[in-house]
Amino acid sequence: MALDPKYAPLFEPIKIGPKILRNRFYQVPHCIGAGSDRPGFQAAHRSLKAEGGWAGINTEYCSIHPESDDTHRLSARLWDDGDVHNLRAMTDHIHKYGSLAGVEMWYGSSHAPNMESRCTPRGPSQYNSEFENLTYCKEMDLDDITHVQQYYVEAALRARDAGFDIVYVYGAHSYLPLQFLSPYYNKRKDKYGGSLENRARFWIETLEKVGKAVGNDCAIATRFAIDTLYGPSSIEIEEDGLHFIELADPLVDLWDVNIGDIAEWGEDAGPSRFYRQGHQLPWTIHVKRIAKKPVLGVGRFTDPEKMMEIVRSGAADIIGAARPSIADPFLPNKILEGRVDDIRVCIGCNVCISRWEIGGPPMICTQNATAGEEYRRGWHPERFPKKTSDDSILIVGAGPSGSECARVLMERGYTVHLYDTSEKIGGHLNDIITLPGLGEWGYHRDYRESQLAKLIKKNKHSQLSLGQNPMTVENVLKYGADKIVIATGSSWNTDGNNGLTHDSIPGIDASNNWTLTPEQVFSGKKKIGKRVVILNADTYFMSPSIAEQLAKNGHEVTIVSGVHLANYMHFTLEYSNMRRRLHELHVQELNDVFASRAEEGHLEIFDTYGDGSTRIYAGPGKLPRRENDTHRSIEFDSLIVVTGRHSNDSLYRELKTQQGDWSANGIKGVYIIGDAEAPRLIADATFTGHRLAREIEETNPQFPLPYKREVAIYGAQRMQNFNPLIEYKF
Amino acid sequence: MKILVPIKQVVTLDEDFEFTPDNRDVDHDFHIYDLNEWDDYSLEEALLIKESNDSPIEIIVCTVGNEYADESLRKCLAKGADRAIRVWSNELKNTDSIGIARIIAHIARREEPQLILTGVQSSDFAHSTTGVATAGILGWPYAAVVNRFEPDHDFTKASILRELEGGLEEAMNIDLPAVITIQVGINKPRYASLRGIKQAQSIPIEEATPDSLGMIDSEIGESGSASIIKKMFIPEKLSTAIIIEGTPAQQASKLAKIINDFKGV
Repeated sequence: MALDPKYAPLFEPIKIGPKILRNRFYQVPHCIGAGSDRPGFQAAHRSLKAEGGWAGINTEYCSIHPESDDTHRLSARLWDDGDVHNLRAMTDHIHKYGSLAGVEMWYGSSHAPNMESRCTPRGPSQYNSEFENLTYCKEMDLDDITHVQQYYVEAALRARDAGFDIVYVYGAHSYLPLQFLSPYYNKRKDKYGGSLENRARFWIETLEKVGKAVGNDCAIATRFAIDTLYGPSSIEIEEDGLHFIELADPLVDLWDVNIGDIAEWGEDAGPSRFYRQGHQLPWTIHVKRIAKKPVLGVGRFTDPEKMMEIVRSGAADIIGAARPSIADPFLPNKILEGRVDDIRVCIGCNVCISRWEIGGPPMICTQNATAGEEYRRGWHPERFPKKTSDDSILIVGAGPSGSECARVLMERGYTVHLYDTSEKIGGHLNDIITLPGLGEWGYHRDYRESQLAKLIKKNKHSQLSLGQNPMTVENVLKYGADKIVIATGSSWNTDGNNGLTHDSIPGIDASNNWTLTPEQVFSGKKKIGKRVVILNADTYFMSPSIAEQLAKNGHEVTIVSGVHLANYMHFTLEYSNMRRRLHELHVQELNDVFASRAEEGHLEIFDTYGDGSTRIYAGPGKLPRRENDTHRSIEFDSLIVVTGRHSNDSLYRELKTQQGDWSANGIKGVYIIGDAEAPRLIADATFTGHRLAREIEETNPQFPLPYKREVAIYGAQRMQNFNPLIEYKF
Repeated sequence: MKILVPIKQVVTLDEDFEFTPDNRDVDHDFHIYDLNEWDDYSLEEALLIKESNDSPIEIIVCTVGNEYADESLRKCLAKGADRAIRVWSNELKNTDSIGIARIIAHIARREEPQLILTGVQSSDFAHSTTGVATAGILGWPYAAVVNRFEPDHDFTKASILRELEGGLEEAMNIDLPAVITIQVGINKPRYASLRGIKQAQSIPIEEATPDSLGMIDSEIGESGSASIIKKMFIPEKLSTAIIIEGTPAQQASKLAKIINDFKGV
C-alpha cells in the first residue's frame, strides 16, 4: 500500500524561520502529565509521535519562571538547568526521527495560582482569575514589564540549550500576552493599555526580545486565540484578531491559532458531544488573509480528506492536532502508507484532557490504551511482543475491554475466540452512542471491529463468535481454551443501590413498569411517561444525556441528584454546554437532594444536608446529628434510576468455585477485566483489556507488573551547585 | 446413515490484485481463502439433522482442491463433521462446476449417503450448478434454494420450503436420497469451539484422486467440464456520478427529482 497521490500535499516540507518541517502534521502543545519532572515519559510520548510521522512536536505549556506555577495542575518548566537537562531527553529523541521539537513558553498571570512557588503573579491590571477565583495578580509597573519580558528571554535561551527548534510565546487560552491584548483584562491607561497598538505592545516587545535572543537558531511561534468568543468586550477575529496578526506577523515564523479562553477552553478543545471536526474554521479561516507566515490550526482533524480541504483551500498551511495525535501517534504514517483504515480515530471524549483538569495524573486515552504508558510500561502503540506460547484464549464479552484484549492478543499471534451474546462488538458502547452527541464515541468500537476482521484473516483459528447464547460455566470449562478472560461488563443497579447510602432504596425495583434503568431506556421496551424523574448518583454523562434525549422527545424531565451532577464533565470540558443544553430544554434539577423511598407515581426525597449541623455522641443506636426532617414527595410517571453500577461477574465467580475442574479441562487460568471486574471509564476498561493481553504469560496476569516510576531520589544532585541534603539557614 | 456435505474453499480478494499471465485467473498470490458462506449453512443443517436423530448419522465433508483446502475441511471437522475427503490431482486444474459435480457423484456412489447437502452457490463464481448437476449425474431428485428441510422419521422423504422470487415460498415433498441446495438463513451456523479446533487438527483427511475414485479420463478436468474460462478482466467503469451542487435546500430538491425520475413518478 502506498500514499494516495491526492494526499501528497500533506507531505510537502515547509519552512518556518530557520527550520524546516518535513511535512504538514504538527502536534500542537498539549498536556500529558509529564512536564519536566517525568523526563522519560515526556521523551517517550513525544518522540513516539516523531516515529509516527509528525513533523513538529511540542511540550505542554512550559512555565518560564516560578512566578508562573500552575500547581495543582501539571505544566512543563524551564526554570533552571535541571529542567534543561530533563527536557533535553525529549528533544534528542525527537531529533532522531528528523522532526522538530517545540516548547510553549508560558506565563499564566492570575490563572496560575502559584501554589508551589508561592510567588505573586503579575498582570497588566489587577484582577482575580475567572478560572482560579482566589488568585489575584499584581498590576505591573514599567519595571515589572521589563522584568517579566526578561523571564521570557532567559527561558528562551534555556529552551535553545535544551535543543528546542521552535520557541513559542504563548498567548492563547487567556495567558499573559493575551491578557495585555484583551480589554477584558487590560484596563491600563499608559502605553501598554488603551489602543490596540498599546495593548499589543507587551506581546510585540516580547516577540522582539525572544527573536533577538534565539531567532537565528529557533523558529519563533506564537499561539494566539484570535477570538475569545466574548463579543466586543474582548478579542474578535475581524477586529483585534486580524489587526494583531498584521502587527506581529513580521516577528513570528509560525502562527498557531485557535479560539476561546481558559475558563471554557472546551470551545477550543471541543468535545465531540458538541463540536465536529474543523469546528474552529469559521474563525481561523480568516487568518491567512493577513498572515504571510505559515499558519496552523486545530479542530480534531483525523480525516485526510478534511486535512486536504484545509490545505487546498488555503485555510491553513499545517494541520495542528493534539487529541488525534494521542489517539493515533502514527496517524501521519498511516496516511503515508495508504492505511487510512487503520487510523485509530479520536472519539473526542476529552478524557485525556480530564486528567490535566483533575490536576495532572498521567494522561489516558479511551482509544489508545498505550497513551501515557510508552515509557513506564514500554508499550508501543503499533508493535507488540510476539506470543511466548501456543496457548489459546477464550474471551467472554466483546465490549471495550474484551475487544481490546482480543485485538492485542491477536496482534501478538495468539489464537483467540471472542464471544458475545450481541450481534456486534462494542458492548454497552452500542447503547451509549445512541445518546445525543455521542455518536463519534462509536469510533472506539469501529476501530476494534475493523482490526479484528483483519487479524482473523491472518489466523484462521481465531474467531469472533457473536449473537451467541450466554456462556455457562459448563460451556466455558468444556470450550477447550487454555486461558479464559471474562469481560462480561456491568449493569446499572435496578434497586437504587448507590454510592451515597451503599444500600438499595425501598420501593425502587426496575422489574415494575414505572421504573427504568438506563439499559431499559435504551431497549425501548418499557413505555416512558410524560413526567420523568431521573434519580442520579453518578457524576458522569448518563443522567444529563438521558435527560437531554427525553426532553427533546417531549418529556418533562426533573433530575434529582444526590451528587454534583455531571461533575466529571467539568474535567472533560463538556460541562458548560451540557448546562446550556439542559437549560434550553427546561430540564429541572434538584441538587443535593436524594431519595429515601419510591412508590408508583411518587418519590420521597430529602435534602442531603437536611440533618443537624451539630454533632454529639448520643449513645449506641442513636444518630450523632438531629434526624433529617426535610422529606417530601415529588410526582412522576416514570422513574429512571442512574444510581450506580455493578459488575456482571457471576460467570467469573462460578468459575472460581470450580477451580478444581480447571486443570482437568486444560484450563491454565481464568481472568477478569473491564467493568466485569469493577465498573469504570471506558478508557480504563480498555486499558485493563490491553494490559492483560500484554502480560498474559506472567505468573499471575490478573495483577499488573510494576512499572518504571520517575521519582526524585533523595540526595541526588539534579544540577550543579545544588545541595540535595537537608540544610537549614540560621 | 450418511450425509454428504460437499464444500468449497472460495477465494476473496482485497482491493489490489493481479491476473495470471494467461489472464484466465487471479494470481494465486492474491487469493484469500475462506469457507464458502453457503456451505456454513449446509453443514449446520447436516449437524442439526444429526443432533435431532436418535440413529447414528455420519457427516462426511468433501472438497476438490489442493492442500490449501484442508483449512476449510478442518473448520468443518472442528464444528462436528465426522470425516473429510479432499480430492486433488494436477489434472483437476481448470475444472468447472460440472466437472466438480462428476467428482462429487463418484464420492456419492462410493459412500452411498442418504442425503447430499450443498450450498446454493459459491460466493466466488456463483454458478449455482454444482449441486443440481450432481443430482443430474446421479439421477437423484433435487431441490434448490431450500430454506426449510424436514426429513420424515425413516428418512425416505422430506418436506421442504423453497425460496422463490418476490418473497414467495414453495412447499414440496421430495423423495430421499436427494440433493438439496441450501440457502443462507435456513439456520444459524455455529462457531467451532477451541476444543473442536484442536481435535480437528488430529483427524486425518482422506486424500483421494480421480483415479482412486475410479474416474475415467473423459470425466476429469477440462475433459469433464462443460465450460472453460477464456479470460478474466475488470470491466471498464462507466462514470455515472453526478455532483449535486447548490445550497442544502437546492441539493435536496435536485436529489428528490433524480429519485422521482428514477422511480418514474
